[in-house]
Amino acid sequence: MQPFTYVRARTVDEAVAAAGSDTRFVAGGTTLVDLMRLEVMTPRTIVDISGLPLDAIEEGPTGLRVGALARNSAVARDPRVRARYPVLAQALESGASPQLRNMATVGGNLLQRTRCSYFRDGVSACNKRAPGTGCAAFDGYHRMHAVLGGSEHCIAAHPSDMAVALLALDAIVHVRGPLATRTVPIADLFLLPKDTPHVEHTIGANELIVHVDLPATPFAAHSRYVKVRDRSEFAFALASAAVAFELRSGRVGEARIALGGVGTRPWRAREAEAVLAGQPPSPELVKKASAAALEGARPRKDNAFKVELARRTVARAFEELLVAQDAKDGGGAR
Amino acid sequence: MTHAVAVGARAPDLALPALVETADCPRVIAFVHRWHPGADGAALRAELRGLGAELVVVSGTGVWAFGPDDHAERVALLSPRQLATVGARFGVSGRGEAVFVVDEHGLVRIAHRSDAGLAGGLADAIAAAAQAMLADSAPAGMLDRREWNLAALVSGFAFVFLTGCKPRDRAQREAPVEAAALPEGLAIELDVNGKVRALRVDPRASLLDTLRERLGLTGTKKGCDMGQCGACTVLLDGERMLSCLTLAAMAQGKKIVTIEGLAQGDELHPMQRAFVERDGLQCGYCTPGQIMSAVGMLAEAGDRQLTDAEVRHGMSGNLCRCGAYPNIVAAIQSSRPGRP
Ligand SMILES: Cc1cc2nc3c(=O)[nH]c(=O)nc-3n(C[C@H](O)[C@H](O)[C@H](O)COP(=O)(O)OP(=O)(O)OC[C@H]3O[C@@H](n4cnc5c(N)ncnc54)[C@H](O)[C@@H]3O)c2cc1C
Ligand code: FES
Ligand code: FES
Repeated sequence: MQPFTYVRARTVDEAVAAAGSDTRFVAGGTTLVDLMRLEVMTPRTIVDISGLPLDAIEEGPTGLRVGALARNSAVARDPRVRARYPVLAQALESGASPQLRNMATVGGNLLQRTRCSYFRDGVSACNKRAPGTGCAAFDGYHRMHAVLGGSEHCIAAHPSDMAVALLALDAIVHVRGPLATRTVPIADLFLLPKDTPHVEHTIGANELIVHVDLPATPFAAHSRYVKVRDRSEFAFALASAAVAFELRSGRVGEARIALGGVGTRPWRAREAEAVLAGQPPSPELVKKASAAALEGARPRKDNAFKVELARRTVARAFEELLVAQDAKDGGGAR
Repeated sequence: MTHAVAVGARAPDLALPALVETADCPRVIAFVHRWHPGADGAALRAELRGLGAELVVVSGTGVWAFGPDDHAERVALLSPRQLATVGARFGVSGRGEAVFVVDEHGLVRIAHRSDAGLAGGLADAIAAAAQAMLADSAPAGMLDRREWNLAALVSGFAFVFLTGCKPRDRAQREAPVEAAALPEGLAIELDVNGKVRALRVDPRASLLDTLRERLGLTGTKKGCDMGQCGACTVLLDGERMLSCLTLAAMAQGKKIVTIEGLAQGDELHPMQRAFVERDGLQCGYCTPGQIMSAVGMLAEAGDRQLTDAEVRHGMSGNLCRCGAYPNIVAAIQSSRPGRP
């Protein structure tokens, strides 16, 4: 690990004031400490924000408000989250391990880095880690890589489960900068790699995520997360789907479909949502929607299986929601 | 005149004022002709950690004091006559060399003398003494050797026969010798197993390395050092977390409990006992992490009884290369009163 200066922030203002281009905040440390040990991330200063009072889960102006330092485990077991935003509890519960969920925070989870092995190994060509060096994944082993949103410079998959659920919930991220506080809709948070894969999101180096608002949308409580992986626990998604929709007099009202494990960023499938809107649910409709979700996928030799896998994952999440609905109002069902 | 020092008897006083402050520590006292620190430092430290003891070397180059986490310090330089006097009290004379293990009550537990000098290095001699002590310490008929080894493993090893130095003495002895040399050494305090330890660390130091290398608590294991195996699991404020991805500096202000902190004196924690009784291990490497994780999991569950499937899910952060999973689940399920 490269040497660094350790600073412990006592207030939000202090944290923001201490931040800069060579600085990183550390919250749970489960991404940052790991990548610093691998010397993939080499900040000169780390600002420890873990002691800041930003871990509350409370009623906000538009719905539940979750503090940036709320632990993944605390959010997952919160009864209000489970009842009103089940997709979020399920996504968190499916991620990492119990120990990691006790450490990981909402803010850190949003800004975690890809698990691409060429990014993490510190030596391979990687435009994300060392801009301009190329991408070893194209000719290498890319079974875990993205089929959606890639560019000729990078096809690394975004690893977060939580972010996929937040995308389906229209979450709003609140960010404190040196001068002001601003809000970022989750759909505007993550960037496509294009020709700058090292720039992953729209949060500045001196901006601190303070909390995330979960709007009380009509579809939030009727939502589900399905994750498919190589083993049944403690593994990143090969494909995952967050599905939420409102059922109004036998027809799908507003719907959200977001995908994980297959995109270079948490992937919102708007085309699939459009297919569903206003239609009575049927197996054919689900098939059409899940096909639309993978429209434009660019699979490569090792990850072609993900296209069909992701379609089926979307379909399963949708069907499980319908079953839950049948079995009575559905909201909060696991 | 020299006379032998008997095992079980009170050890003679070394009568060296500089050593008084650590009188409550278990101690290895070695008589060696010529000794210099550094020769077998790492090996010695490891043996001392295993014993939970500090070492005093009486030699022609001086009297050296040496804890598992300290640099050797020369506390006295003796004249040949003084040397002979101290040696005589322990029955060591002429070309003879010897190793004694003295427990925290001042009683001699092991005495190993050789008139021809110790074969091999000092570390070897201490290892042999530790070995002898292991064989010795199980009261006949209570534990067989395998059970003893299990008990030692699940309890983080050393406490079984030596209770270790009193915290006050440790804290003093741990005056930050090593890290003081670091320009950016951070002064921190860690509350480990109910004792507050002040030390200086490199900001890069993980909690895991600090527990193992600086505080001598080697019960917590390093498997992957990247969050993927759970071997390093400890409790922070009662919640299970990974010490490999926690910086030592970030653990300040939290109550840290390691495998060494679970037992109450000689009474194993119910989870430790359950792992012994149900044979919840094979090689034992993952075991401290499994036990800490299981303790954390049951705390999360509260009064709720967990199904086997829930236990497997709840323990998914702890990998076992030996595949001892069925017995691990059985051990956890049997650890609660009211379960078969
Ligand atoms: C073995 C392993 C398995 C995992 N499996 C999964 C999985 O299956 N699914 C999944 O989704 N995740 C998984 N993860 C990733 C895990 O969820 C993240 O590491 C975690 O959520 C990061 O949170 P943190 O608080 O520890 O972040 P940190 O490591 O503290 O920070 C991560 C990044 O976010 C920045 N940051 C943190 N907080 C803020 C803030 N408030 N404002 C601005 N910037 C901030 C930091 O500067 C840093 O760059 C796994 C991780 C490991 C190690
Ligand atoms: S050593 Fe910490 S998880 Fe493996
Ligand atoms: S007992 Fe050997 S790794 Fe678990």
